[in-house]
Amino acid sequence: MEQSLKETIRQDPKKILGVNPLDAKVSLSYLTVAFVSLLIGGILGLVQGLERAGLIDLPSWLNYYQVLTAHGLLLLLVFTATFSIGYLYANLSHALGGLLPKVRKFAWVGFVLMIIGVAMAVTMIVLNEASVLYTFYPPLAAHPIFYIGLVFVVLGIWACCAGVFINYRHWRKNHPGQVTPLLAYFTMAVFVLWFFATIGVTIEVFTLIPWSMGLVETTNVMVGRTLFWWFGHTLVNIWYLVAISAWYVFVPKIIGGRHFSDKLIRLVVILVVVLNIPGGFHHQIIDPAISQSIKFLHVFMSLSIAVPSLMTAFAMFAVFERTGRKLGGKGLLGWLKKLPWGDVRFLAPMIAMISFIFGGAGGIVNTSNQLNQVIHNTMWVVGHFHITVGVSVVLTFFGICYWLIPYLAKRKLTPKMNKLGIIQTVIWTVGMIIMSGSMHIVGLLGDPRRTSDTTYGGHEAAAGWIPFEMLFAVGATLLLIGVIIQVYAVFNMMFFAPKGLTEYPVAEPEDDATPAPMWTERWGLWIVLLLAVVAMAYVVPIVDMILNAPPGSPPIRTW
Amino acid sequence: MKTTEAIKSEKQLNNDDEKSLRGTLVSVGFVAAVIVVMWVAVFWIYMERV
Ligand code: HEM
Ligand SMILES: [Cu+2]
Repeated sequence: MEQSLKETIRQDPKKILGVNPLDAKVSLSYLTVAFVSLLIGGILGLVQGLERAGLIDLPSWLNYYQVLTAHGLLLLLVFTATFSIGYLYANLSHALGGLLPKVRKFAWVGFVLMIIGVAMAVTMIVLNEASVLYTFYPPLAAHPIFYIGLVFVVLGIWACCAGVFINYRHWRKNHPGQVTPLLAYFTMAVFVLWFFATIGVTIEVFTLIPWSMGLVETTNVMVGRTLFWWFGHTLVNIWYLVAISAWYVFVPKIIGGRHFSDKLIRLVVILVVVLNIPGGFHHQIIDPAISQSIKFLHVFMSLSIAVPSLMTAFAMFAVFERTGRKLGGKGLLGWLKKLPWGDVRFLAPMIAMISFIFGGAGGIVNTSNQLNQVIHNTMWVVGHFHITVGVSVVLTFFGICYWLIPYLAKRKLTPKMNKLGIIQTVIWTVGMIIMSGSMHIVGLLGDPRRTSDTTYGGHEAAAGWIPFEMLFAVGATLLLIGVIIQVYAVFNMMFFAPKGLTEYPVAEPEDDATPAPMWTERWGLWIVLLLAVVAMAYVVPIVDMILNAPPGSPPIRTW
Repeated sequence: MKTTEAIKSEKQLNNDDEKSLRGTLVSVGFVAAVIVVMWVAVFWIYMERV
């Protein structure tokens, strides 16, 4: 049926008008910060790789732990958070027909708060007043301004949460009886997690501020670590949700298929949101002061996240196989050949997914009590998170750039840029296999993480690590080349690529798919369940740590 | 010359091939194998060292 222009504009304005330029500006600003952070963080990563290999010596005004703090903070927090917010706000705008003007304001307030916060924290790191690593475990004490900066970052994230919740409610009110579009659903889930993840760490930071200022003499170290990992463990699943939103919604469209069952996707989202937070103690398996049964509970909860992950693996393979067979793939695995390997929008997230097989399996190793004794605080852990966040998450983000940025900037992805993207993806993959692979192996041989000099006076066990550390440096060099290409590609697509319209590749459901049931929208219920699970996992141990607290620790500066 | 019957069943077969998820089963099996192999390998190192 023909629709009048007016009708189309009302029902699907983006078809005619594209993205609202005001919304695009929000997302592009966040993405700009993300890729500037990536560039700086990447350079620092290479510095670390070279230093560990003994190929360079840092000048006296720069120490390894200062560099490592900045690398961790800029990449783990600033890059991933700002990218996610830019991407998710674009999704929200696209799915709900534009952001409300009020919501856009919230996004800008969040942006300014985060910039102020990051500037404060980074300044303190640069001044060598905050070499506490990204985990800022007490009793290591940074300058109070470092912690105040972190508070600003959290406030910025909360402003973004508020924006999403307002827009979501507004849409719900105006669309009774309809489920929200998948992209908006994912966005809602991620920001619900952001909100509840940051509560614990905010309480921690508020106790550290007076302590670092000398107003309070001691702090409870165990409570601090516990509140940190309440956040840290949840952050991991925030990235995971952001990444799978792209796997479920965009990848099927890019390969010419349909997305998997709407109901299963939403079930995965609900499971991750509800089950996620109480896994923090698997980062503290060898910490004292936590009873065995509580540790067991957290290990169990963190393993339960494997359920939605395995559902995702199945769903994605099924999408690939169905699509590949429709395109004529034959035999057991012939469908694999029909997938568009030459399209960076597919190749990057595909490698991300494949790497998650190894990353996820490594995670199961880390969370198992006895196995954790083998790998705890070794380079294995560093290898693990460079595969998971450094490939599964980051390559998904890189792949998203090749359509999201041209779309937002009203430009086009040229075949030349696609080719550069393929080259970038290959360099990144090879670099990470070399770096992360050698980190895994040398970790099993005992090489400690977070240690600038691991020669131990030439002891023979330590001497055996050196060849692997040389491999870190080789991988790190490739990775920095990858970073530079990616940053170039991002800014080229933002400002210089030819003008044009780019598709927002949202997949459709199968023709015979049943729509998702309304009960999936009961966020109030999911949040109550989430809180119940958090209470089950954290109330007893935290009360125990406070009531039976050992003497607190004064602030300590080790550098 | 094929009978209509044969053509029909061939179509059926192709159609089955198109809907088949055998590859998915194999792939999921591969995921399981990676998990088991990695876990057992590190557990073995643990047992060697205790
Ligand atoms: C150019 C690419 C990269 C290189 C060369 C690199 C290299 C390194 C090296 C050598 C370490 C030091 C390990 C130690 O002494 O314990 C490290 C730590 C780390 N990296 Fe990277 N990395 C890169 C990219 C990334 C990315 C993209 C992320 C996350 C998004 C990331 C997150 C981290 C974190 C969280 C740490 C641990 C910091 C700590 O222990 O406090 N890295 N990286
Ligand atoms: Cu965790």
